[in-house]
Amino acid sequence: MPERRFEHLRWPLDQPVVDIDELVVGGGERLVLFGPNGSGKTTALRLMAGTIGGDRPDGVAYLPQRPYFFRGTARSNLELGLDDVERGRALELATEFGVSDRLDVAARSLSGGERMRVALARTLASSADIVLLDEPLAPLDHRDREHTATTIAAALHGRSAVIVSHDRTSAAILGDSLAVVVDGQVRQRGRIAEVFTTPIDDVVAGVVGISNVLSGVATTGDGALVEVEWQGRTIVAAGSQTTREKVKVLFGGEAVAVHRDLPDGASPRNVIGGTISDIRTVGRLLEIVVDCGDPVAALITPGSFETLDLHQGSAVYLSVKAVAMTAVSVGDAE
Amino acid sequence: MDFLFDAFGEAADFLRDSSGELGAVVGLTLLVAGIATVVAVALGVPLGITLGLGRFRGRQVLLTFVNVGMGIPPVLVGLIVLMILWSDGPLGSLDILFTPTAMVIVQVFLALPIAAGVTAGAVSSLSRDAVEQLAALRLGTVRRGTVVVREVWPGVTAAIAASFGRVVSEVGAVLIVGGNIKGETRVLTTAIVQETRQARFGAALALGLVLLVIAFIVTGTLTWLQSRERTDA
Repeated sequence: MPERRFEHLRWPLDQPVVDIDELVVGGGERLVLFGPNGSGKTTALRLMAGTIGGDRPDGVAYLPQRPYFFRGTARSNLELGLDDVERGRALELATEFGVSDRLDVAARSLSGGERMRVALARTLASSADIVLLDEPLAPLDHRDREHTATTIAAALHGRSAVIVSHDRTSAAILGDSLAVVVDGQVRQRGRIAEVFTTPIDDVVAGVVGISNVLSGVATTGDGALVEVEWQGRTIVAAGSQTTREKVKVLFGGEAVAVHRDLPDGASPRNVIGGTISDIRTVGRLLEIVVDCGDPVAALITPGSFETLDLHQGSAVYLSVKAVAMTAVSVGDAE
Repeated sequence: MDFLFDAFGEAADFLRDSSGELGAVVGLTLLVAGIATVVAVALGVPLGITLGLGRFRGRQVLLTFVNVGMGIPPVLVGLIVLMILWSDGPLGSLDILFTPTAMVIVQVFLALPIAAGVTAGAVSSLSRDAVEQLAALRLGTVRRGTVVVREVWPGVTAAIAASFGRVVSEVGAVLIVGGNIKGETRVLTTAIVQETRQARFGAALALGLVLLVIAFIVTGTLTWLQSRERTDA
């Protein structure tokens, strides 16, 4: 897949709210532009799409934040701007997004979530090699989000995407890398797990919060708890998955307990060993980052930190209750 | 009071007796106004869409011209076109002065700014989301035009109705470049002027009523088209 270089993302020219010299995406990367409201994510995406700023790059499909439906049926809007091959694909995608039975109604009678899914089907059906999506999960019910995210991932089919999100969970399930946008500039860019656990400064830390994202594969589950293979281990998380599929396990640093020795009593499955790679102050607490294959962040009080005699490079065990971890589906396992 | 009743009586007689000549005048009126409206709308609606959506150099200047054109006095346009088509004028060699062709030309100049201006107004009332979506879809010019026309259909029908209304009711310009020649360039409005000047009020009134009926039928049809489109989506 070709690399795409977006240059001089600057708008408005006199007093820029967005000022990014260069943003390169490629290699099937799903880059989430993440940041608080008003940070300039949407403006940056519009500049990449060329709906502002003058440059109209080829080979870019773009889903605006509030997709507009023109007079006519959902179907006529679904097919708008697509060639015959793309139309066929759009119909298949409409089926996968669960809106194929709504295509013959007037577009304006669709609900917000239905509109977003029709617009997603149209955008993803395009044969453009870069896909730009602005908050694609925002109007959806929580229960629809995982399925929609999975369908988006499958429909991208190895193409690169830039996805705007202000919501951590959506960012985590949609993307594989993250660019934190603050005041119109990219403050940090890296793999999602990396940025969420090791923000480069307190501004990024404030924006992303502290969170852990472990990418694994669900194996079996009973509908409430699911076993997830991650870094050669099996961990148990809350999740409704019952069959083999890719998941991300999300949990906050406050849910992680730190031990020097293998703890008694705790379910041995969710005990993870590693070495401390970083120690930071977060308000009155300390945050330690433990390298367990993936980085895992844990919040700890200064008192415990003293008692446990922790240092950079210390070997520790982390334990997390299964119910404190949420497994979200992100696609079929290979 | 009797005078008015007499006039209506004469009008009725006129309509009964002069059907052949009246038919020719009505026919030419519909032909000239119809062709002028079609040409003005065909040029003005795309221009209006471009003005309403566009962010291009010279847009403001063009928009000012359109707005001035919407209110320009028809006699002035008639005079300018007359001078251009006059035998010594730049296009005198065409030899079309005092023909229906010259009348169509002058009416296109009158109706074009109205078609463009009313359409531009309707298009610029599209929401930001609609404009962003149009830009996002990257449609071809024609496809984009049809989507926009459908979206602002009530505005486009208003543009057509206003254009037709301007040309069918206009008298000054067509009188100047057409000459009101009986059987050749006489239309309803110039005929009304002619009859009035000769104090044949009944005939003038009858012609006025026919004009009113035409305007009613055309505008009524457009209003029906406008509301029909509105209900289907």
